[in-house]
Amino acid sequence: MPAAMTLALLLSVLVGMGASGASNGRELVVMAEEGHLTAWLEIEALSRAFEHEHPGLSVRCLPLGGAAGSQDKPKFLIAGGVPLDLLRIDVTELAAYAGEGALVDLAPYFAADPSWDERAYFPAVLGALHGPRGELWGLPSTFTPYVMYVNLDRLSELGLARPASDWTWHDFRALARRATTDDDGDGRTDRYGVSLTQWLQAVCPWIWQAGGELIDSKGERARMGEPEFVESMRFLHALLHEDKVASFDASFANQLTQGLFQGGKALFYGPVGYWETYRFRSIERFRWDVVQLPRGKRAATSVAMTVYVVPRTAREPELAYEFLRRLAGPEYQRMLARIGNGVPGLIAAAESADFLKPEVAPESEQVFLDVLREARLQPPVANWRKIESLVQAELEGILLQPDCDVPAACARMAAKTDEYLARERERGGRARLPRGALELAVGGALLGLLALFLVKRGARPAARERRRERAALALLVPWASGFVLFLLGPALVALVLALCEWSPLRPLDDVRWAGLDNLARLGGDATFASSLGATALYAALCVPLGLALAFGLALLLRRESRATSLVRTACYLPAIVAPVIVAALWRLALDAEHGPVNECLRALGLGAPAWLRDPAWVVPSFVLVSLWSVGAQMLVFVAALQALDPALEEAARVDGAGPLARHWHVVLPQLGPVLLFNLLTGLVAAAQIFAQPYVMTQGGPGDASRFLVLYVYESAFQHFDVGYACALAWVLFAALAAACGLLFVGTRRFVHYRGRSA
Amino acid sequence: MRILRALVLVAVAALFALPLWFVLSASLHKEGAGLGLGALAPPADPQWHNYALALERMGGFARFLANTLLVTVLSILGQCFTCSLAGYAFARLSFRGRDALFVCVLAAMMLPDQTSALPRFLLFRTLGLVDSYWPLVLPTVLGGAPFFIFLFRQYFLSLPAELDEAARMDGCSAWQAYWRVFLPLARPMLATVALITFLATWNDFWAPLVYVLSPEKRTLTLALASFQRTFDTSVELLMAASAVILAPCVLVYFLAQRLFLRGIRVAASKG
Repeated sequence: MPAAMTLALLLSVLVGMGASGASNGRELVVMAEEGHLTAWLEIEALSRAFEHEHPGLSVRCLPLGGAAGSQDKPKFLIAGGVPLDLLRIDVTELAAYAGEGALVDLAPYFAADPSWDERAYFPAVLGALHGPRGELWGLPSTFTPYVMYVNLDRLSELGLARPASDWTWHDFRALARRATTDDDGDGRTDRYGVSLTQWLQAVCPWIWQAGGELIDSKGERARMGEPEFVESMRFLHALLHEDKVASFDASFANQLTQGLFQGGKALFYGPVGYWETYRFRSIERFRWDVVQLPRGKRAATSVAMTVYVVPRTAREPELAYEFLRRLAGPEYQRMLARIGNGVPGLIAAAESADFLKPEVAPESEQVFLDVLREARLQPPVANWRKIESLVQAELEGILLQPDCDVPAACARMAAKTDEYLARERERGGRARLPRGALELAVGGALLGLLALFLVKRGARPAARERRRERAALALLVPWASGFVLFLLGPALVALVLALCEWSPLRPLDDVRWAGLDNLARLGGDATFASSLGATALYAALCVPLGLALAFGLALLLRRESRATSLVRTACYLPAIVAPVIVAALWRLALDAEHGPVNECLRALGLGAPAWLRDPAWVVPSFVLVSLWSVGAQMLVFVAALQALDPALEEAARVDGAGPLARHWHVVLPQLGPVLLFNLLTGLVAAAQIFAQPYVMTQGGPGDASRFLVLYVYESAFQHFDVGYACALAWVLFAALAAACGLLFVGTRRFVHYRGRSA
Repeated sequence: MRILRALVLVAVAALFALPLWFVLSASLHKEGAGLGLGALAPPADPQWHNYALALERMGGFARFLANTLLVTVLSILGQCFTCSLAGYAFARLSFRGRDALFVCVLAAMMLPDQTSALPRFLLFRTLGLVDSYWPLVLPTVLGGAPFFIFLFRQYFLSLPAELDEAARMDGCSAWQAYWRVFLPLARPMLATVALITFLATWNDFWAPLVYVLSPEKRTLTLALASFQRTFDTSVELLMAASAVILAPCVLVYFLAQRLFLRGIRVAASKG
């Protein structure tokens, strides 16, 4: 019966597949949301107009949203070959997309288009969209150079003049010193000279101003160990830890709280882009403006930008090109300028009143256009995200740790990056996996496992027994078919991929054979070592503490009454809330400067750790979050306690055992199986922690919270290194299975089952 | 002693319920009030229209609710059926290789989901099922969650052996014994599994994010995420929308708490 139903279900899916697969008419699929309601309505209107001009065509706009993970969705679609005609991506990912052959070169379309005039766009911006062989990958949406925000009222309060456009590091440092004050005399700085930004793109201007470089122009050698680079790092380190005139703005990492600058507690804020003007326009307490970044040996700044591109999965590249021209055209670009999305790439739109907006702050929007002369984009290397992740750990060490050895940290950055670049060069030489080999290997492995099962399961019984056996196995068909299709099969694919090298931006038939290279890399990968360490530390803290807390609460709430039932519901609440919401709430609560947790600690006169920003505290922070979601484990304990025979406890009480002795000698031993159950499920959950660090810290500071599953995810979707991600995942699986097996065997002596053994 | 215990209970409840209170309280503040500790204090003039505004801004709340309900109900039915069936077979029937297969169930629990996410996507893509609800529902009907299979197995192990004999005397096949005798007895366990599945599916974000493309097919969490735009989301409205999505979870849990505990109790007592 279930076997027949499973078959029917699979058949109906296959039939439904044929029906849905055949879509009639031409379709243009656009994924170019700007993260703004007005823009979304505008792009919808544009689509309808476009449909009107092209009878028989329908334009489908897919929403993307601003939530965590959205930027990785296109990679799934491209990997799967889902038709997608137009895409908006961040320019930091452009080189990776283009390098993997995931984009259509639009140069021929531009060449054939008489209306195309490249002088209409900022040359610096358009330059970033050119490939090495004359390709043109797309057009800019909006961009922003990095500038410095300044609190004008604070400046005049200190009797200081507004910095000139050619001010220097020296001027900057002097102003920052003047503006750092301890207003209430409690020995803690209340107002800072500068609130610094700390992601790589925002640090680049300092490096370039000092004459340093990240990588040489060919993308072959890291230049982070060179004196100029080190000098820029020393400068930032000195601002933070010698002069102590700088802090970090919580606002970028945590949009829910007011940052230092917004709270009037920093004279400068930056280097940062145009996007902050949107939030800062609600500031009423003081006047503010933007200024050029101070210059070092030379003037330089970096640029953040989003661009429209046509992915290789486009079915209508010609129409996509036409639509892309609309999005980068005057009307849409002026609308983007009006809503404050950034600086439009189209010169006419940027120089119009729509962008310069004389009536609203900042007064000097022109600065964003002026600094374009000295603006630079990232080096055109294969994968900026990967470089960023390699460098970020050391960078945060320099910025956050007072006793950091800056030159040594820079040398480590260079070594890591060199190793990565060498691996990239090697890549082209690998042999392609023959077509169908992947499917064959997985199919073969599945058949092999089935054969193994059939051979090993024991001697053939009598005919009547066999009939009963068949009936039993039939009941397992729904489970088994799903197990093979959705778990074992994909896991085996991952196992084969662990021996290969593949980027999700390439088609699946372009998988290259890497042998055991991915596994060999594990040994020398410092990120892997620290992520293994962080995961182990997290599990070692949160599993026992969670068990203890859950058990304690359960003892408190074991009796059935209206009050306990209410409190139990309250305790279970955190487990009900979606993990993403939980993470967002905790990020707010644990904010080092303004978070309620630290405000309470300070009120109690206790030390207030920087939680998520302190490498030593970040793992304990996640333990805290997990302890708060301990409700489910508690319920299991409550249920187990309620199922106990009260007579045993009563007998112990009559014998004169105190409450402690009763719980230790009578209650606990009876709970052996439940303890083991909670221990194992807790361990599995702890080892797979993902959503919280992904939303709250993205693995930082440094690599301190880059837990294994997070590293797996980043390797696959941000470093485009699926093979390595699969190798990591299988290592995690093996380690976890071994740990669980050991626990199970090791506790056998202490765990007593009543009746039938499990 | 009693007063002390009451105090501890209140403190514990408050500590765990605080964030939810935060969501509620923040959702009723005036737009742009900001979110410091101030949001924890209930507003003097609750802005109930934040809710109407939030739903309107989500664009098609009724439709997203219907989508979410469809996926949730199908997932619950799928999990309950498949997992109870497998749990029954593992607990009450004997066949060669049973223990090896059950180890497979347990091992599946340890496989991080991120490992198989991409290959699974490629599979659904090959089947042409991207941008439908099949990828969200099918793995529950076929396969089921290992954890639930484990729970059902524990539950069925706890039932007396006479049941099988009685069923066999009546001439029931294995399927009939499951359907007529064991499934009806598993009601507390079914409630437990249904509740956990409800919470997981209702709150799930990753699977819809990856598989749903069309705007009109979005589920509530996905709609909430695209509502959460970079520039023009007021936190108050975001909290109001979150509260709307949370409310059914709290309600369902509160109503089902009894059955839920009973289900776990049986499973727990057998370990």
